[in-house]
Amino acid sequence: MRTRARAPHGRRAVVVGGVRTPFVKAFAELMKVDTIALGAAAMRGLLERHPVPRRDIDAVVWSGVILPSIWPNIGREIALEIGLDPAIEAMTVTRACASSLQAVTTAAAMIERGEADVVIAGGSDSTSNAEVKLPQKLVHAAAPLMFGKRTAGDVLGALSQLMPLGQIVPRAPRVVERTTGKLMGEAAEDMARRNEISRAEQDHFALRSHQRAAAAIASGRLAREVVPVAAPRSGDDPAEPRWVHSDTLVRADTSLEKLARLKPAFARGGGDGTVTAGNSSPLTDGAAAVLLMSEEKASALGVVALARVAAWSYVGVDPADQLLIGPALAMPRVLDEAGRDLGDIDLVDMHEAFAAQVLSVLKALESGSFARERLGRARAVGAVDPARLNVRGGSLAFGHPFAATGARMVTTMAHELRESGKETALLGICAQGGLGAAALLENAAS
Amino acid sequence: MRDVLLELGARPAARRLVARLGLPLPLPVRLTRAGGPWEAQPLADQFIAVGAASPSPLGPTLARTIARAGASAVLSASASASAEAFREMGRAYGRTAGTVPVAGPSHGFRVDALVFDATELDGPSRLRAAYDFFHPLVSTLRPSGRVVVLGRPPAEATTTEQAAARGALDGFTRSLAKEIGRRGSTANLVQVAAGGDAHLEPVLRFLLSARSAFVSAQPLMVGTGLSGLPDPPLVRPLERKVALVTGAARGIGQAIAERLAQEGAHVICLDRPADDTAGGQVARALGGSFLPVDIGVDGAPAAIAAHLRERHGGVDIVVHNAGITRDKTLARMSEEQWDDTLGINLRAPLRIDQALLDEGLLRDEGRVVCLASVAGIAGNHGQTNYAASKAGIAAYVRRRAGELAPRGITVNAVAPGLIETRMSAAMPALVREAARRLSALGQGGLPSDVAEVVTFLSTPGAAGVSGAVLRVCGGALIGA
Repeated sequence: MRTRARAPHGRRAVVVGGVRTPFVKAFAELMKVDTIALGAAAMRGLLERHPVPRRDIDAVVWSGVILPSIWPNIGREIALEIGLDPAIEAMTVTRACASSLQAVTTAAAMIERGEADVVIAGGSDSTSNAEVKLPQKLVHAAAPLMFGKRTAGDVLGALSQLMPLGQIVPRAPRVVERTTGKLMGEAAEDMARRNEISRAEQDHFALRSHQRAAAAIASGRLAREVVPVAAPRSGDDPAEPRWVHSDTLVRADTSLEKLARLKPAFARGGGDGTVTAGNSSPLTDGAAAVLLMSEEKASALGVVALARVAAWSYVGVDPADQLLIGPALAMPRVLDEAGRDLGDIDLVDMHEAFAAQVLSVLKALESGSFARERLGRARAVGAVDPARLNVRGGSLAFGHPFAATGARMVTTMAHELRESGKETALLGICAQGGLGAAALLENAAS
Repeated sequence: MRDVLLELGARPAARRLVARLGLPLPLPVRLTRAGGPWEAQPLADQFIAVGAASPSPLGPTLARTIARAGASAVLSASASASAEAFREMGRAYGRTAGTVPVAGPSHGFRVDALVFDATELDGPSRLRAAYDFFHPLVSTLRPSGRVVVLGRPPAEATTTEQAAARGALDGFTRSLAKEIGRRGSTANLVQVAAGGDAHLEPVLRFLLSARSAFVSAQPLMVGTGLSGLPDPPLVRPLERKVALVTGAARGIGQAIAERLAQEGAHVICLDRPADDTAGGQVARALGGSFLPVDIGVDGAPAAIAAHLRERHGGVDIVVHNAGITRDKTLARMSEEQWDDTLGINLRAPLRIDQALLDEGLLRDEGRVVCLASVAGIAGNHGQTNYAASKAGIAAYVRRRAGELAPRGITVNAVAPGLIETRMSAAMPALVREAARRLSALGQGGLPSDVAEVVTFLSTPGAAGVSGAVLRVCGGALIGA
């Protein structure tokens, strides 16, 4: 819950570069590319775009949400896959949708603490390659047949345990809370109802996300952040892959009318829901990578520092309450730690799991009673100026590969600070389990 | 002990049959109860209708209590003066406050609780507001619902009219409790004394929750506690507290020990050395310790004090639960039956407390809870000894409460009615059946119902409740 104490020895971590793969709808162009291959594409792309002597890299802090159960430390596998020196150590962290922000801040902490000077952080997720779990009942019933000396009785016994068959059919993975059994979309629906967020407000927010993302793509500014991924052609010569160069989910041509036609996706009992496929982030495949250094190392190498990782905070809330409200608690903590007001912040970038969730968080930040009751502050944190919020679009438009989103946000905001000459960017991410995350980036040039 | 009517009442088909045949069988409903430790949001996703006799300064407290406990307020027009406070608190906790339709509740409108703020009554004519609020809404209350009326103590009234109006709320609440009890619902009056506003929230939270399932038809006074204490914790309120529970080897005492331990207390389970096995098992199961002492012997207070001093350096919570019955009409009662009952039930708690106070072992902001009995309030055939001891306890806690108030120590009694235990199983079947059906809720309580009340009174949040005798009887008491 607590924000971290300032580094006593004054070492500071800076972001010197970041890239990501195209974000692609799950079970589409990147279906045959697993999370390790996606991560390899991002990490390889990072080192091509931001060359650094390989011997200077100290560590890899990677992240994932849907991890392969036999190689959960995908960070190490990715590093070996792209041929990094085996002496470079690697770990993999997981914190649901805030995973790659966790990777970035863990890397920053290592640098501040003097453990490392150069760290690659990031995350990858391939929803298309989620392992479809065999029900435990099937595994346990079949074990005597597979691993023991079988008798006819064992076979009959196993079969009788497996009736009715409906219980042993493998189930598709769903984004469901373990403690409450609620789908994440149902939690967003609850938040919309409880915070009085209308369908129109949600659709309007989603439309703006698409428009801004489309404008960012059209302007070419995202090109330096996006590296292509090679997807094997099924059946064809693996030596001749199909290259995926660009995001596939952003809809430049969407409109309020089109969004309004979509049916509620999560309303129980049907009818009066407001959360639709159009104002929710879709299942997505992708990866993102960020290069961090100590300020000293960056200047020694003559590398341009984009942004300092100035402060961060992680919080937990009761998943049975407002599951995705966490950023409303984490973002004020970061402001407090950095000694800044929301009014001082030039850019605010929030992960858009659902329009209803972002709008609920914004409403909480604007509320005086929320500030008094939940934050122990005398006054509201403040209203976020729409002109400063998610200026290059967000997860509703780009999609949301769980463990790539945080690193995507850090990448885009670091570049944005550098390019615009602006001072500060505040990041906010909600995550499964009732977690909230926030971080503050400062322009490294000032 | 099996309750056939309660089991029958749990079957919808049986309920329908009884209704169709017009049988005069009062089928009680199974009460909604909560198990385990306190939840941060005991009223999650509930709807609570709120009304007021006049604009009240307690509006914001009420709004905060409801929203923080996870419920949404539904305001009647009478509470419109507090609408802004409810709107603000609703926003802080994402629990939007709604309003009762002006034309009256629509079909399908249901609430989990009705709260009526009558703290600002000036005289009898204002009482009409209670009728106006409850009349259309009482039928919208869900089963195991809650009614809480907020008033002020008549003794603090500034005019005779005001005193009369305040007193009227007591009869109103008790009668409403009897009317709604058949559906498992309860009604209670909270009298907020001067200085009690700051201590109201935990009391309201408790009375509105499933933890107070068997508490009904009575007034409870919330008064001045120590001021400047930190906000009481919502969960695990007894962490780092040391609790002594007498008679903890079984029944109600065991239930109390378990609940206190669940809330984080280290519980010293005291019982007779003869109950070594049972008491030791209880203590081990809840991670506490067993203290074998017969509280009827002269050296008991000193032995208890020595144990608390040496092992724990003091004690925060003392629950005087151990008790016995030796029923006989007075003419047939032996000297031993009289002496044993008064010795264990009345003399022992007084002597133990005195020893703890003399040695400075009862810590500041401590909690003393004594087990009294409805028999002690109403009297009972064959229980002159028992009722004397329990009525003595009631008077004792009132007196001690005043003495210890400056140290923030509260002293209260809990008076169970018919609780389904070994003791009640031994009652003649007809008497037990009558006792069950005469209560407003139409059934006996469980040891856990008593344990919940004792636990609440042991928490830091109960700072405003002292000198009270709280009945846990399902609204069984006639009159009084």
